Amino acid sequence: MSFSTLFNLLGFLNLILAGSMGLPLLVNWIYGEPHARGFLLAIAATAFSGLFMMLIFRRSRRDLTHREGFAIVALGWISATFFGALPYLFTGSLASLTDACFEAASGFTTTGSTIFTEIQKHPYSVLFWRNLTQWLGGMGILLLSLAILPFLGVGGMQLYKAEVPGPTADKLRPRISQTARILWEVYILFSAAEVLTLLLGGMNLFDALCHTFSTMATGGFSPKNESIEFYRSPFLEYSITFFMFLAGANFALHYRFLKGNVKVLWRDTEFCFYTSVVLLATLFISLNLWLSIQKEFFQAFRLAIFQVVSILTTTGFATADFEQWPPFSQYLLLTLMFIGGCAGSTGGAIKCVRIYILLKQGFQELRKLIHPRAVLPVKLGGKVVSPDTLSGIWGLSFLYLFIFSMASLALCMLGSDFLTSVSAVAATLGNVGPGLGTVGPAENFAHLSVAAKWILMACMLLGRLEIYTLLVLLIPDFWKK
Amino acid sequence: MSIIIIGAGEVGFHLADRLSKEKKDVVIIDRDVEKIRRVQNTLDVQAVHGSGGSISLLRQAGISEASMVIAVTNSDEVNMISCLVAGVQDRVPIKIARVRDPEYSYLLPLFDKEHLDIDFVINPDHEVVEMMLKLMEVPGAVEVVDFAEGLVRMVGLPLPLGSPLIGKPLAKLRELYPQASVLIVAIQRGDKVFIPKGQDVLAANDLLFLVMERKKAREALEDFGNKRPPIKRVMILGGGLIGLELAKSLEEQGIQVKIIEQNESRCLEIAEKCRKAVVLRGDASYQDILLEENVGEMDTFIAVTEDDENNVMISLLAKKMGIRRVMTLINKMAYSPLVRSIGIDVVISPRLAAVSKILQFIRRGKILSVSSLPEENAEAFEAIALETSDLVGRPLRKVEFPKDAIVGALVRGSEVIIPDGSTVIQPGDRVMIFALTTAIHKVEKALMVKLEYW
Repeated sequence: MSFSTLFNLLGFLNLILAGSMGLPLLVNWIYGEPHARGFLLAIAATAFSGLFMMLIFRRSRRDLTHREGFAIVALGWISATFFGALPYLFTGSLASLTDACFEAASGFTTTGSTIFTEIQKHPYSVLFWRNLTQWLGGMGILLLSLAILPFLGVGGMQLYKAEVPGPTADKLRPRISQTARILWEVYILFSAAEVLTLLLGGMNLFDALCHTFSTMATGGFSPKNESIEFYRSPFLEYSITFFMFLAGANFALHYRFLKGNVKVLWRDTEFCFYTSVVLLATLFISLNLWLSIQKEFFQAFRLAIFQVVSILTTTGFATADFEQWPPFSQYLLLTLMFIGGCAGSTGGAIKCVRIYILLKQGFQELRKLIHPRAVLPVKLGGKVVSPDTLSGIWGLSFLYLFIFSMASLALCMLGSDFLTSVSAVAATLGNVGPGLGTVGPAENFAHLSVAAKWILMACMLLGRLEIYTLLVLLIPDFWKK
Repeated sequence: MSIIIIGAGEVGFHLADRLSKEKKDVVIIDRDVEKIRRVQNTLDVQAVHGSGGSISLLRQAGISEASMVIAVTNSDEVNMISCLVAGVQDRVPIKIARVRDPEYSYLLPLFDKEHLDIDFVINPDHEVVEMMLKLMEVPGAVEVVDFAEGLVRMVGLPLPLGSPLIGKPLAKLRELYPQASVLIVAIQRGDKVFIPKGQDVLAANDLLFLVMERKKAREALEDFGNKRPPIKRVMILGGGLIGLELAKSLEEQGIQVKIIEQNESRCLEIAEKCRKAVVLRGDASYQDILLEENVGEMDTFIAVTEDDENNVMISLLAKKMGIRRVMTLINKMAYSPLVRSIGIDVVISPRLAAVSKILQFIRRGKILSVSSLPEENAEAFEAIALETSDLVGRPLRKVEFPKDAIVGALVRGSEVIIPDGSTVIQPGDRVMIFALTTAIHKVEKALMVKLEYW
């Protein structure tokens, strides 16, 4: 483990972060708000610490080892959380370090759980920063640095594997920097399309930008207290639903689709599974709503599809306070929090492909009981899933559930009620955002104790980095020579 | 425009490594998951798992946009078919295949435009034999490379302990050996290679890289103080494809050859194909066969069995028994830096030979040919001096040339000039440039800019 390489690259990440803080400063200037000093302080602190680290520590010329890759990604995200909290602190939007870090972590990990009680009372620049963190975290800060830094070369593959969610990381192009650039290009292209669509639907530019940032990243921060419900516009709801759906699908697939390979969509098993989950869950919830609280079916459908896509892709926008919905719908939404988007998307949670493979293997075991001698490999899209990948999926899914139950237990111990604890952990670990109970879509996370907030922050990072990348830092052997 | 390499064995892996470091986009295909994983973890190239003979997989790897296909799997047939598919299906402009079986090589029209349409066929065994023969032409050399269709030769020569050159700065060499028309283009000291300057002082155990005219190589080296008798007696261990071809070539040169092979029927085959060589059946790891045949009296011992470890151990044994010079075949590239340091004079790797031959072929474009000095941190270029180039028209000592690079030789028509400070390069001269890998970019840049006028 070369610590000087590690700190040098972390320093570089800080520079990127400081650069991105320039954008809210611009917003601050446009709206004539008095927070320039806060942002400048944050930029100075971030940039100087970054420069300091880069000057003191030199990058070694050899390629990154896989351990260094993990360490850089994990520590990079932790440091982004701390430095990303500075604008909240220095502008006075959030007074305590815990709250500022929570908001930053929730931003970068694209969770969308918030401390802000009266969102509209906060300055535009702070709200802009809040949504920008989601956009940066969505496709990944390290992936961004890979796209603009060709020198990382081979070592980049380690970073790519550690940051991009999904059981296997495939390169789209021969070089890692090209792959990273393509993913970011698709991301930017979709974002631009969404901004235009939202402007067309009557949103102002600021809201359109903010909502695009959090939609494409499947984040869920909204500059409005009522989230998307505020606009009461079916057009905006359907277009945001569409873009959330895109953001929750594999970006490699989007790239192939955009390159003219249309068939790739329905040939991809995961995409089909993802679509079927959306359709089935929407159908059940619409029926449930229609039969209970909504008179009109189309009204029920509109609410249901938005909420299903929002929760499944782990975005967390709301057009209704789903806590008022019947238990069947609430439970279904809670289940969707565990499934999440596709591998290679900006969505969180366990991911469709893993759930699909696990289900398939479960049934395979059943068939084995009937044909004890049968050779039954688990196949995905006609290809056998290697035993290595399979055991990785089992391990991750189990750890995911284990951490879920331990963190919920801890929250209960800290005094939260059962529903709040369980749903808050599910929502943060899956990077969804709002939970149920006292942390539902109409409430926020401000009232939780300091300890509970740190636990949930850890859950967010664990969820975003798919557990192993972060957990491996805690193993003593990892740091040994 | 990418390069597709089929087969991620040693040759494929090293080719991919070199090409990706030269900023080329490389896709590598192999059937072995382990090899694919190794590539993914260590190289910045795209690795695809599957068979190189499969059309759909080649498509997926982007063969329709590829500018070159290099097939280097273990199977000759797969290599040929992959190239055929690449040419017929997708019109890939350049196709290179490794074909080992001499049966195929005899039928040369097989590879031409009308049939398989393979642009370059590489046979590593053949390359090894050629390399060994070249090395034997220059006694004492550990490296011999020819440039400009064999007009210019570069020789790697270790400086022996008692040499009068030790402790002398290079500028004094001309005074010591006034008539020697050789130029030292690079020096390897320990693991480091550097391009020497006039004030650099030579040390014992330095490995010198000398450039000279090939026709006058022997005289030039003798003038330089490297007087050794030519090789007369050679013992070869291993009668495989390489051993047999080597034996045949050597006996044609009138060199006395003894060849040791374990397998009885193979011995008969060799005896049938050779005219004079003595074929010995036996296991050389029992010293008696070496003693019986007076291995100590031989000039050179060459170990070319399939087994690396065997080659190394028996070579050391032979060295112990008093032989002056051993040459050893090593397949695993990872061993080669180690082997030289334990006392084996020359290490030859068929895979490295294949890699450098393929690289030479690939880069035969504007830059005529490139060959690799050992340890992969220095290279030799061959380029044409253009009228617009800064090199032309003034004495070399006044030319501002990148540091860590040197002009080693000029070819004007069929005349070879070993330059010194007063040499003036004329337009149209072919210039051999030697440079450290770190300086290549600068040299290339200087040359490339000018080449655009071409």
